[in-house]
Amino acid sequence: MAQLADARAAFQAEVLQHLESVYRYAYALTRERAEAEDLTQDTFLQALRHWDQFRPGTNARAWLFTICRNLFLRQRERRAREQPVEAGALDSLANDAQAFAAPSDGGRALFDAPELGDVIRRELDKLPSEYREVVELSDLQDQSYADIAQVLGVPIGTVKSRLFRGRRLLQAALVDYARDAGLLPPPGSEA
Amino acid sequence: MSDCQDVIRQLWEYLDGELPAGDADEIREHLDDCAHCNPQYEFQLRFLDALVKAYAANEVPRPEFVRRLKAALDGIGGDLT
Repeated sequence: MAQLADARAAFQAEVLQHLESVYRYAYALTRERAEAEDLTQDTFLQALRHWDQFRPGTNARAWLFTICRNLFLRQRERRAREQPVEAGALDSLANDAQAFAAPSDGGRALFDAPELGDVIRRELDKLPSEYREVVELSDLQDQSYADIAQVLGVPIGTVKSRLFRGRRLLQAALVDYARDAGLLPPPGSEA
Repeated sequence: MSDCQDVIRQLWEYLDGELPAGDADEIREHLDDCAHCNPQYEFQLRFLDALVKAYAANEVPRPEFVRRLKAALDGIGGDLT
């Protein structure tokens, strides 16, 4: 009985502090509040049931993200909603985005625009999921490349490649928006 | 001494804190002095900052959900090891 109480106390100290992060990650995966809540709850219930598999001193948040993602993928497989990614087309798009050169003022007008938050959320939602999830884990959840590799079950090189391409795609979309809105000069017009 | 191409190539790893200390120091020194790389650095820094800000206040779990989750966790009994 005392052992059970100790384990529960350790679980609460290590794991429950990450509730908001896990919920945000679940929301990023599902894009829907009710589904995010269900996925978060399933994640914590599974974490509690498999608490003996957690190694003290390791990154509890990355461990929870791994559980969360695996549950999500299993659910998605069951629902047969998997959309195959056309790698060739995406590579081409990412490489096009790479050609962008930063404006000489560091893009001040773009990043000071009051509507920028809405634009970023909209454009991030449009990113292909394999890029979006790495951008979210790195830039919104502040996970290291090594922890993201653990969560996704891919090599660190793949994490970097997806992260950098995802960021480039997102930046290209923001720059397009800024040019259309007159916040940045048209391409080729800046010395 | 880093050249511009190397610095731009490693800029995101530098901003992500993923480079070894010696490499990061070289890039920092280069960025301090280079009029070509500095706008790229400023742009990437602002971009990452804007991403964080865009999501900072969004999507926190509802209090009733947090209560429901904690009750569900409390409901798990003897199988916790």
